[in-house]
Amino acid sequence: MFKNYLKTAWRNLWKGKVFNAMNVVGLSVAVACCILLFLTVYYEFSYDRFHTNLSNLYQVYAVSHRPNGDEPSTSMPVPLTPALKAEYQDVKFASRSANSGAIVRYGDKELDKDIHYVDEDFLKMYSFPLVQGNANTALSGINNVVISENAAESLFGKQNPINKTIQINLDNKPTSFLVTGIAKTAPDNSSIQFDILMRFEHYETYQRDLDHWDNATHLVYVQMKEGFDPSTFTKRLQPFVKKHFAQNIDLLKRDGAKPDAEGNIYSLKLTNFANNHFNVNMGGVEGSPISKIYVISLAAIGLFILVIACINFINLSVARAFTRAREVGVRKTLGAGKWQLLVQFWMETVMVCFAATVLGTLLAAVAMPQFKAIFKSQVSMGMLLQPTQLIGALLLFIIITVIAGFYPALIMMRYKTVSVLKGAVLNNKPGKLRNTLLVVQFSLSTLLIICTIVTWQQIQFLQNKPLGFNKTEVLSIPTGHNEIGLNVLSLMRNKLSDNPDVVSVTGAYMNFGRGTDGSMRTSIQGFNYKDTEVRTHIERVDYEYLKTLDIKLLEGRDFSRAYAGDTTAVVINEAMATQLGGKNLVGTYLPMYDNGEKTQIIGIVKNYNFRSLHEDIAPLTLTMNKEYSINYIYVKVKPGSLIQAYDRIKQSWHALLPNTEFQGSWLNENTERQYRAEKRLSGIFVSGAVIAIIISCIGLLAISIMIVMQRNKEIGIRKVLGASVPRIVMMLSSDFVKLVLLAAVIAFPIAWWLMHNWLQSFAYRVVLHWWVFAAAALLAMLVAFVTISFQSIKAAVSNPIKSLRSE
Amino acid sequence: MIQITNLEKFYRTEEVETVALNKLNLEIKTGEFVAIMGPSGCGKSTLLNILGLLDDPDAGSYLFNGTEVAHFNERKRADLRKHNIGFVFQSFNLIDELTVFENVELPLIYTGVSAVERKTRVEEVLTKMQIMHRRNHYPQQLSGGQQQRVAIARAVVNKPKLILADEPTGNLDSSNGNEVMELLTDLNEQGTTIIMVTHSEHDARYSHRIVRLLDGQTVMENIMM
Repeated sequence: MFKNYLKTAWRNLWKGKVFNAMNVVGLSVAVACCILLFLTVYYEFSYDRFHTNLSNLYQVYAVSHRPNGDEPSTSMPVPLTPALKAEYQDVKFASRSANSGAIVRYGDKELDKDIHYVDEDFLKMYSFPLVQGNANTALSGINNVVISENAAESLFGKQNPINKTIQINLDNKPTSFLVTGIAKTAPDNSSIQFDILMRFEHYETYQRDLDHWDNATHLVYVQMKEGFDPSTFTKRLQPFVKKHFAQNIDLLKRDGAKPDAEGNIYSLKLTNFANNHFNVNMGGVEGSPISKIYVISLAAIGLFILVIACINFINLSVARAFTRAREVGVRKTLGAGKWQLLVQFWMETVMVCFAATVLGTLLAAVAMPQFKAIFKSQVSMGMLLQPTQLIGALLLFIIITVIAGFYPALIMMRYKTVSVLKGAVLNNKPGKLRNTLLVVQFSLSTLLIICTIVTWQQIQFLQNKPLGFNKTEVLSIPTGHNEIGLNVLSLMRNKLSDNPDVVSVTGAYMNFGRGTDGSMRTSIQGFNYKDTEVRTHIERVDYEYLKTLDIKLLEGRDFSRAYAGDTTAVVINEAMATQLGGKNLVGTYLPMYDNGEKTQIIGIVKNYNFRSLHEDIAPLTLTMNKEYSINYIYVKVKPGSLIQAYDRIKQSWHALLPNTEFQGSWLNENTERQYRAEKRLSGIFVSGAVIAIIISCIGLLAISIMIVMQRNKEIGIRKVLGASVPRIVMMLSSDFVKLVLLAAVIAFPIAWWLMHNWLQSFAYRVVLHWWVFAAAALLAMLVAFVTISFQSIKAAVSNPIKSLRSE
Repeated sequence: MIQITNLEKFYRTEEVETVALNKLNLEIKTGEFVAIMGPSGCGKSTLLNILGLLDDPDAGSYLFNGTEVAHFNERKRADLRKHNIGFVFQSFNLIDELTVFENVELPLIYTGVSAVERKTRVEEVLTKMQIMHRRNHYPQQLSGGQQQRVAIARAVVNKPKLILADEPTGNLDSSNGNEVMELLTDLNEQGTTIIMVTHSEHDARYSHRIVRLLDGQTVMENIMM
């Protein structure tokens, strides 16, 4: 019996090879897309799952209930961790965590490594197993360090690093550390990545902030005891908050903060570390968190494409089933039971799906390197072999084949054997189902087209919006961890002074956008001004900052060497001026420092977007305060000589600092780099939309072939009676075009809602124009019309005698 | 074998009700060869479909071997059909995707006969129908006469008690038609009851009895000598 099913299935498939090839191609492209997208989604959700204590690991964060909304922050003060551990019995372990880079020396090797400052508990909490050393004691000594396998190999080669001493530059002073453990290098899907684990006591602000509850500088993780109830903990933490953050609470109260539902103005909360990878709105977490919306979009696009391909499959199977009505009738006459017919149809579906799955998997394997490169994805085909993936794939396979295989068979079964044998159902109307499925298909396609256009518009907008500073002719060069920034600035200034391409040179604490060193830093300071708390971003700059960046000065003047006092003065932006209450601010003094020293405002600059366009322009204070380091050097060059200037600046850099890598990049590259997530999303939408449309059209083409076959006689008769070719083409196409139009109308509100919400994440965004929707609908209709026209024109121009005779 | 009493069948559209069978009474004994004749639309095919349990009557009684089958459900009808009734159609109704051998084998598959026995029985019947040399051909590679012989082979392979033939020579030339009629006669002589719908007086002469229908009723019965 089984052999007979297989044989019949194969012959039937071979007979309809054109349709089945279309089916297989469409489905395999969908399978390939799904594999790539679902693996990416799986990978993103797999972040940090390897920690065995994950369910008990939490990050501490604070929420300030400010008048203009809740403000979460993960930055914690130094004394919090020991106090929390001492005062709450359910805290099993706790560790502070901060990152920075430093130069590490061993023998004649000198490497820039990522240092992770943690407490002793860290290795007991997180699953970074030691391949050498004891996790319980490795960090017990203040000058012990644990290094990753990768770092060990690069520093020590084949030597055993245990009990060896390395030199690490802290605060530009070499300090000796003893290697007491080698940790397995963290997997790619770990939010916490490190080369070296060092005791938190060495962190740059540790000594200064030892007793300061008002300086928040680092993250705090806790491991709670088994059976801990997170829902009541915030309430239980309230006395702790009142005791230690009284000053914070008073300031918030004074500034009009409103208590939350529990009556708290400032609260400490815990968020499970399992959510870490998706905590984009927490105000700073470890690693590169990613928006869950982005990941869900990927899954949705994968699902859309799969649904579209499955719809093709069902529609084609149903359409073909009608042409096989007679066969079903004969089989029924000869005694075939319902299940026997169902299994026979299912078998054919299984074969097509199997072929598509194999082909799709191959396609995914071929496309994977490209996919990984474009979408910065870390997936691998090996991930497919995990039991959960295999079971999931198998379930999906069974569901698809059962729906696509059983459904047409059930339809055939409904017809009476007698009418089937008479061929009465051959010219049956396609029914509501096929139309419904086509509408679903084109709704999804139109939706993706709209999303593509809107994301593309937004990215163009982000890239082209004037930011208020010169981003095309200014080169930003990270000074590196090896050097003292101010010295590098001075050296470069001298060296470039006779370079004819260079207009001016300056330095700053923060970069614009994301440079090639990958880091984005920010510094916010709060102080009291006229009995109100003022919060401002701080940017440490050097002379000629405004000139180099072409930032427009509205009032006052730039920092000048002519005034010795300028090193303690500030220049503020319009937003800061507004916050300070308005006019005649130049010349006034701000009480910015705890020691009571005041700083004079010498100038006000026009607002410029010093952060990404996701955010409004916040108050900003430019200072030359030497407490902040110079981390970036900005060089403005003459227009028209960018490439030549870049090379010459690079040469100068290498001549001055032969051991430090040149990481210069143009500011427009940096600002574009900060929209990588949006670009990736847009790229995925574009690919998704193109694939969805192509697969939809394959389905539509196959359906139109079927329709033309079914209506062959009608077309012949109409032609004999005098119908023109365009009239026949219109007759055959109009039904479908109407369906596509309906699909577009259905897609409009969904697309509007999705894109409206997405755009809300940008402070600066494009307007959703009606024409975007109209264009998407028009495009979908045009593509559908062209697809159908291939067949309808062919049918319309053919000789009617042929079709009438063949009937 | 077959006893039908006051059998009625109507076809309804939204506006018109057509009477296909009008209180029809008919008895067919085991081993008979009966031809049903009449003009188009007289109810011949409807009667044959009801007799073959492919369609159900709207009223009346249908006793098959003493059992009332008029209102059997689909499963019971399919069961009765596959064990007792063979069909021969005017348009052969062979499955294009299956070879001659596989077409004939199909009813045996559905009745659950083992592969070894299937092979023996199919070869036996193909030899009998003189089509064994074409066993691996597909229907479209055969002449009309050959296709109808395959169809007859398929109808008899399960050794049914009754064969229903709907215009079995309608699509054949006279010499092929005669061959088919000879085959049916042979089968009847071996004990199979045959009911055949035909327009052809020539074919009807092969039968024992001709039932003539008009407007869904029996108008005349001729006993052939």
